Amino acid sequence: MSLRNRWGLRAGLVQLSVLLTLLGSLLPTPAAAHGERATEPYIRTRTVHWYDVTWSSQKINVSDTVTVEGKFHLFTDWPDAATKPELAFLSNASPGAVMTRVESYINGMPAQQSVRQLEIGRDYSFKLVMRGRIPGRWHLHPVLNVHGAGPIVGPGHWVDVAGSAADFKVPVTTMTGEVIDDLQHYGVARVQWWQAGYALLAIAWIVWWIRRPLIVPRWNAIKKGREDLLVTRTDDRVAAGLLVVVLVVVIAGYRYTTQKYEYVVPLQAGSFKTKPLPQESPVVTVELKDATYDVPGRSLRLDVEITNQSGSPLRVGEFSTANLRFINQSLDVALAGVDPSFPKDLVPGSGLRISDDSPVAPGETRKLRLEATDAAWETERLVSFLTNVDSRVGGMLFFFDGGGQRHMAEVSGPIVPVFTQLRLAEKS
Amino acid sequence: MNLNDLAILKVSGLSPQAIKWSRTLDVLIVIVAAFLIWAVSHISFLLLGGDWDFFIDWKDRQYWILIIPITTITMAAAFQAIFWNLFRLPVGATASLLLLLVGTWIVRYHSWQGLAFFPISLVVPGTCLMGALVLDAVLVLSRSWLVTGAFGAVLYGLLFYPSNWIYMAGYFQPVQNMGDMTSVADLIGYTFPRAGTPEYIRIIERGTLRTFGDTPTWVSAFFSAFACIFLYYLFWGLGVLACNSRFFPVGDRFKSIYGGKSGAADSEPALKPGVPS
Ligand SMILES: [Cu+2]
Repeated sequence: MSLRNRWGLRAGLVQLSVLLTLLGSLLPTPAAAHGERATEPYIRTRTVHWYDVTWSSQKINVSDTVTVEGKFHLFTDWPDAATKPELAFLSNASPGAVMTRVESYINGMPAQQSVRQLEIGRDYSFKLVMRGRIPGRWHLHPVLNVHGAGPIVGPGHWVDVAGSAADFKVPVTTMTGEVIDDLQHYGVARVQWWQAGYALLAIAWIVWWIRRPLIVPRWNAIKKGREDLLVTRTDDRVAAGLLVVVLVVVIAGYRYTTQKYEYVVPLQAGSFKTKPLPQESPVVTVELKDATYDVPGRSLRLDVEITNQSGSPLRVGEFSTANLRFINQSLDVALAGVDPSFPKDLVPGSGLRISDDSPVAPGETRKLRLEATDAAWETERLVSFLTNVDSRVGGMLFFFDGGGQRHMAEVSGPIVPVFTQLRLAEKS
Repeated sequence: MNLNDLAILKVSGLSPQAIKWSRTLDVLIVIVAAFLIWAVSHISFLLLGGDWDFFIDWKDRQYWILIIPITTITMAAAFQAIFWNLFRLPVGATASLLLLLVGTWIVRYHSWQGLAFFPISLVVPGTCLMGALVLDAVLVLSRSWLVTGAFGAVLYGLLFYPSNWIYMAGYFQPVQNMGDMTSVADLIGYTFPRAGTPEYIRIIERGTLRTFGDTPTWVSAFFSAFACIFLYYLFWGLGVLACNSRFFPVGDRFKSIYGGKSGAADSEPALKPGVPS
């Protein structure tokens, strides 16, 4: 096969694949999942840790609002492969615009724009007010989009939206007093009427030409040097007329519009800055000595050394990572910390097992083994350590003192996957 | 059929029978060409223009005004060159932009509203159709690609902003959101969340194209018009290249397969249909 023909064949294949892709996309089929499990574990376990997240309601009607609020902690052991949170945007994950955003805040500041220079190691509060628009059952997550690191998805909860999408409206009054009946349709008819007018001119122009004898006769006429027959004096006049019509319509229309809309503003695009939430002085230090993930047993084991620097005895209440919450079942205050509205699928029933659950006395340093065992490691796709550039794990440990006060500490370090029971036995 | 049409047919030297069939061929070619122009214009725009015309809160005073004309004039110029050179039909630019507009609206309703539940107000498209009409009209009047590039392409770039502002100005009225002033366009973008498009992805008036104080729009429009001249010439040239039959290597081989010609022109053995060489 000559080079030329091989090239032709390849071009043909490319065209075919483009065509097939186009055909495949003809049927609208909205996707249900939105990739919350697709992000690499090192990002989900070591960047943004969401906590105290609540959903005000799980059943709303179209046009009713649901508020998602809580806090997030930016992890100190932020992976090098992800950009630091220099620029971030608070958003939500749901399949398309099924809910609308009414308000969003970071630390109480309006978050219409992106927020800049978030500080690693610190905490921020957030609040999202969403309004039901399309009836259905939607998974609603808070999301922090970090420039260069992508969307970092918080815990998701199902919200049922009942009613009819036809009842949904977003009325707005502009600062110049124009009443917009519904933001969903605002200006659309005006755009379509004008563009239809433009299209009509274009169609008239095309028809003016293609009503004549076309392909072969014109081709032959050019070959015989009779171009003068193909574009005539009348055509010149029509073209000149078209030119004048276009210029008059655009200039007059533009002048009319600028007079009609006297006050316009450009798109708003500045970012804002906010101070992190106040930091408590550290009451406990956690050092990760060893971390293994038991692949057949679906269990994460952390050997940690804990030093209680506070004046009150401390117990481990919760290990939280990638939105999974492993709770110490024998500590009531930790169990009470799980809001009844919190999604059950993110709170593994087996909880967190601790080798020595007695309180760590003030000043005491103790080695503990923490075990978080659940199929969620697999179902949440958190164990692809082997395919990651950064085989480290991280999470938040929640301690509770005698008075029920909660103290948080980060824990992170390298993790080693263990594939056989034998090696596990050796290790322990 | 007027006298001019009859004169063309006479010059073409076709028999009455052939004239009838040539009209059928015209209809078929127009249909096929329409799909081809549509697909090529649309794909080229998606590759080059991308996000700047997708969303109402991307339509800024700098890049939207600059990028949409210079990305769409490419295919307008290429198709204009092809149809003018082969048939002296000055409809290439208009057809390219008209079909792009039709295709864009189909996608807006099918994909943006149908798949992602975006309201149409979030995704209204702009169009360079008025510029395309001017481009074709100037080609007729001048009968010269050089003049069309120098005047038509400039008007093409300049007309984009005013011809779209007529129906888009309303989206830039000031409105309050959470106590801050913003535009209706921003508010639409804020209200209807796009999971994959965080706010910071937008590139709103970043750069140095901001002389003349308060009027960056016309600075952008003039810069766009200037860039359109060069893109017009470049893609006119590519269009001319594409007309050249040298680039259709099937010629003799195709004929020999279908029995139109015995023995291939090249030295390879004759092909049997369906057997790859
Ligand atoms: Cu989800």
